[in-house]
Amino acid sequence: MQIFPRSLNKLPLLVGAGATAGLVGVVFFIWYWFSPYFTQVGYSPKQPVPYSHRLHAGQLGLDCRYCHVNVERAPLAMVPPTETCMNCHQVVKTDSKMLEPIRVSWQTGVPMEWNRIHKLPDYVYFDHSVHVTAGVGCAACHGRIDQMEQVRMEKPLSMGWCLECHRDVKEKQGDSEFIRPVSQITNMAFVHDGHVEPPRHLNPPENCAGCHR
Amino acid sequence: MSKRAPHPVREPYPGSPQYWRNLEDRGGAREADAPEFPKLPDGNGHFTTPPSDEAWLVSRRGLLGAMTATMALVGAEGCRRPLEKIVPYTKMPEDVIPGVPSHYSTVLQRRGDAVGVIVESHEGRPTKIEGNESHQSSLGAVDAVGQASILDLYDPERSTSPSRGGAPASWADFEAALAGKLGEFDKDQGARLRVLMPPTLSPTVIRMRAALAQRFPKARVHTWSAVNDSNAREGAKIAFGEPVTTLYAYDRAKVIVALDSDFLQTETGSVRATKGFANGRRLRSSKDAMSRLYVVEPARTVTGMNADHRLRLPASDVERYAQALAVELGKNGVAVSDEVARSVSKVSAEGIPAPWLVAVAKDLAANRGRAFVSVGSRQPASLHALGHAINAALGAVGQSLMRFPAADPDELDNTTDLKALTDAIGGNQVDALVILGGNPVYDAPADLGFAAALAKVPFSVHASLFVDETSAKCSWHVPRAHAYESWGDQRALDTSTSVQQPLIAPLYDGRSDIELLALMAGPMNAPDKSSYEAIRTTVRGGILGQHGLVGCGPVLDGKIECHDATGKVSPVPAVELEREWSRALASGVSTRPQQAPTPLPLRAGDIAAAIDKRVVPAAVGPSSLEVTFAPCPKMVDGAHANNTWLQEMPDPVTKLVWDNAAIVSPATAKALGVASKDMIKITVGGQSINAGVWVLPGQADNSVALTLGWGRTKAGRIGNGRGFDVYPLRTTQALGFAVGAQVAKAGGDPYFFAQTQEHDSTEGRPIAHEATLAEYKQKPNFAELDNAPQRALPLWNQQDYSQGHQWGMSIDLNACTGCGACVIACMSENNVPVVGKLEVWRGREMHWLRIDRYWVEDEKSGGTVDNPVAINEPLACVHCEEAPCENVCPVNATTHGPEGLNEMAYNRCIGTRYCANNCPYKVRHFNYLNWHNDSVWKETGGLPESLQMQQNPNVTVRFRGVMEKCTYCVQRIQSAKIRSKREYRELKDGEIRTACQQTCPADAIVFGDINDPNSMVTRWVRTDRRFGLLQELGTRPRTTYLGKVRNPNPEMV
Repeated sequence: MQIFPRSLNKLPLLVGAGATAGLVGVVFFIWYWFSPYFTQVGYSPKQPVPYSHRLHAGQLGLDCRYCHVNVERAPLAMVPPTETCMNCHQVVKTDSKMLEPIRVSWQTGVPMEWNRIHKLPDYVYFDHSVHVTAGVGCAACHGRIDQMEQVRMEKPLSMGWCLECHRDVKEKQGDSEFIRPVSQITNMAFVHDGHVEPPRHLNPPENCAGCHR
Repeated sequence: MSKRAPHPVREPYPGSPQYWRNLEDRGGAREADAPEFPKLPDGNGHFTTPPSDEAWLVSRRGLLGAMTATMALVGAEGCRRPLEKIVPYTKMPEDVIPGVPSHYSTVLQRRGDAVGVIVESHEGRPTKIEGNESHQSSLGAVDAVGQASILDLYDPERSTSPSRGGAPASWADFEAALAGKLGEFDKDQGARLRVLMPPTLSPTVIRMRAALAQRFPKARVHTWSAVNDSNAREGAKIAFGEPVTTLYAYDRAKVIVALDSDFLQTETGSVRATKGFANGRRLRSSKDAMSRLYVVEPARTVTGMNADHRLRLPASDVERYAQALAVELGKNGVAVSDEVARSVSKVSAEGIPAPWLVAVAKDLAANRGRAFVSVGSRQPASLHALGHAINAALGAVGQSLMRFPAADPDELDNTTDLKALTDAIGGNQVDALVILGGNPVYDAPADLGFAAALAKVPFSVHASLFVDETSAKCSWHVPRAHAYESWGDQRALDTSTSVQQPLIAPLYDGRSDIELLALMAGPMNAPDKSSYEAIRTTVRGGILGQHGLVGCGPVLDGKIECHDATGKVSPVPAVELEREWSRALASGVSTRPQQAPTPLPLRAGDIAAAIDKRVVPAAVGPSSLEVTFAPCPKMVDGAHANNTWLQEMPDPVTKLVWDNAAIVSPATAKALGVASKDMIKITVGGQSINAGVWVLPGQADNSVALTLGWGRTKAGRIGNGRGFDVYPLRTTQALGFAVGAQVAKAGGDPYFFAQTQEHDSTEGRPIAHEATLAEYKQKPNFAELDNAPQRALPLWNQQDYSQGHQWGMSIDLNACTGCGACVIACMSENNVPVVGKLEVWRGREMHWLRIDRYWVEDEKSGGTVDNPVAINEPLACVHCEEAPCENVCPVNATTHGPEGLNEMAYNRCIGTRYCANNCPYKVRHFNYLNWHNDSVWKETGGLPESLQMQQNPNVTVRFRGVMEKCTYCVQRIQSAKIRSKREYRELKDGEIRTACQQTCPADAIVFGDINDPNSMVTRWVRTDRRFGLLQELGTRPRTTYLGKVRNPNPEMV
């Protein structure tokens, strides 16, 4: 007596095909999850004014903190007010077409609207000041901004990526490649060779409430 | 399967007190056993079944639909993220660091006292109120209403523009109409102009009032507030001939007798009183002494919950008790003057338990100089006068109380003053009435007929935050500025003054009283160009006055010529005055308290005359009940009715939310044949109201306690139709209490009350530990001994918590009064949502911190079933080291941090609720809905934008389906840690203060590093009264408690 109908003969085949498809799917999703497509590394939107970090920070050698003044004392490094642009540009390039929106903003008091590039989810609380005063340089997260014509997201800013550094620093302290002397924070070309005396005992959090609260 | 038996619930050991939450609890039957789905009262008091739109989601079809939509959304998430803009300033304001809050000092009027506060402001958006340590009426603390005041500021239903007869108008229209009307009055010096405003503490308002009087010498300014201190003021006038105010030093007193005085919650100066009271009872070791509090009151109050001995007495009998006590004091050598003694000698002590006279008098006499009586504001002036006589006889003046001149010397008895106004309107003597603040149509004594009188005034203006009951009856309404959006000043009880500085430009185009009075007085009489200038002028005068200077000329060469009283001229550098002004703004105190003036002589003859003249209330009995009126601890006189936080805050005593109730004692309820939730009809002097009953042990028999401030009709969406309006029963003759009330069962459906204390049973476990002072001295570690020993073994390997910071909290049950300030502070700091009455009834309230109140029947401390003593236990997440919640989370959303915090990662939580189920403390709360949008503000399409402005940007706003609980204010821990790291230094003890700790007027909560041997929390944790809550379960809680100690008089138990 035949217990199983004939059609069941295809079952192993179907199972095999399904499993393969499932496996491919899982691999695809994991690959996607960790790939720059998901984390959007390389994201580089056009800004209302084509401000060149390569020119200002690179060639002219302006310190990062000339514009991002609060980076050492606040959670936000702060995108500068129009006023900061006008400090120079009321005497330099006063009739540049590209600077028109800045001048309009200055005259009308309507703020500039820049496109956000480095974005963390709302449930993550990141503080610039504590990183900068620990000896984490700007370039560690933002890359070689001084070589970028248009700012581009260089690192994935994912939780795994954050923890990589936190764990490395906790273990190696000043020997970690992410740490530099506090005086070299804004030095984009700084190369970590060997030991750096950390400014304090570094104990970056690895627990949830360190960033999520 | 686990073979572990459930932990046996320990039988109370012989002689241990019995703890219960309510009468049903004690009787064994539980109210929640047969929950009947409640019917929701709608705005008109009708009952409807709750809206069933949630039912759609839980039907099979709806669920499938929702799941499909969810799957579709999951797919859509892979799309490109939305473009987000960064909008910097164009010109950076000075001193603003984006992301770092600034703090400003200002001041808040709370009844007859001004409480200094510090307001946290995020980029110009005030978010949180904290106490100001340098202000003597705050000493770093604020009460619940003060904490919640920030929500009043942002109330989306505040009035946004002037209106004429209900139709919107502009300020220009109003100014033109006002100028036209006032122009008519110039010829007869304003005889037909009246102003009505609540009692003021502001020197500048008083100055502006004088300016108005310059223009209109015959105009009159009347004063009315439904919750006022007129009786105390009149009592002081009888006793001293002047309306002096009394500041009690509760910390210096050894024996306090509160005569119907709720000085810890609703009376004037409660924040400072609570600080003092808690300090007078603070026990660092079993060698310390503590004060003793006797309370005589009709209805249970927060003060009554903290009494060592409490006598239930109808309010109308309290004066008789005081007189009998004065007689008894005379026998103990504390003689009030002969005339007063003669007046009180006729009193009968019938019905007053003998020890309450003999032992109390003996105790008072034994502590002369360190003992006083405190009289409640609803008691008549003659009792206040007698209180002054007793305190003088006890030698308390200068020792444990001080007297200061009143803030407003011209204020009259509010009731008489309002009656004078109503009579004047009735006599057609008033053409224009300007009402600044208050809500007299709602809260004026019923027999005055104020609303009807107001309709007769041809030109009436009401300036208020809301278009309320009074605005609706006036020809004009203008929006009034909130205290946090206008310049002002306030004088505290101790005579120090503070500047009220605005935190934000008026949100709804409101103007302050100062501006409106100046507008009426005209620029000739009120020359200051703005309220800011007016305040500066007043403050400058105050500062110069402290140096004995009385008048100044204009600034010349950077110097101001000032002269003193004798006319001697001395130049003051203008820069000095500017520095003083900055200091006043920064510290929150502009002029220091005056020296207490030399005590005025007591006018014994007048006191005796007042006692002889007093109207003796009729006897209270089963056929002639008494009703008492008390300000609501949350709504006060009704002004805060539209505040969701206060609506949802459980009443400190009844634990009712979103309602008031008519409170009766069990015996009276039995006699009347009513039970909790029944509707009753209360009739007094021909007027009657219907109200729901709540039976509360500890209430005086034959006395019905009613709270003011409910049953509003034009408060707004939140406040309308909540609770029962009791003002119709309140008359000029009976502002505090009325005798001769008839109560009958009203029939109909039982009223739907929601109460929080019913939720979460202790299952008979000993939860809060207490002892008498004598026991404590014998057995200093009573709390640990009474606690069950740890029985459960840990499930996992023990963590090492000996390194680094280890956060812990300690709560002193001996200090906690149960006032509820911490509950609101926590909501304000942590963006805790409000869920509404129905959801509270379902047990879904979200308060991270709750205060459990238990009644205790215990011979040692005199608690009986009719008059149990109370114990309050604030309870939030205790951050167990062996946390049961962590073990059951399938997704590791709640885990343990290296510093001992039980952490909650909201973005990981999938809402299984296993953790809440496994939490023995029941402190985890689940977002069944997206509460912020889908509860009380659902009909308006979610949480209004203005209320979103209040939210703390440093705390995640939790969404539907997520579990949440106390985090020990982790955002404060992190920001303090980051600050210390940034400054390359160690954290200091006391640098991190949780929101509840910061605001606690009793300093009952301390937080800190338990690894630091010198920290305050370590010192508390090491005290002998320490115990761990439910420590037998082996949870090792980080929050520990210190047992309560009562100080009963050995002669009375």
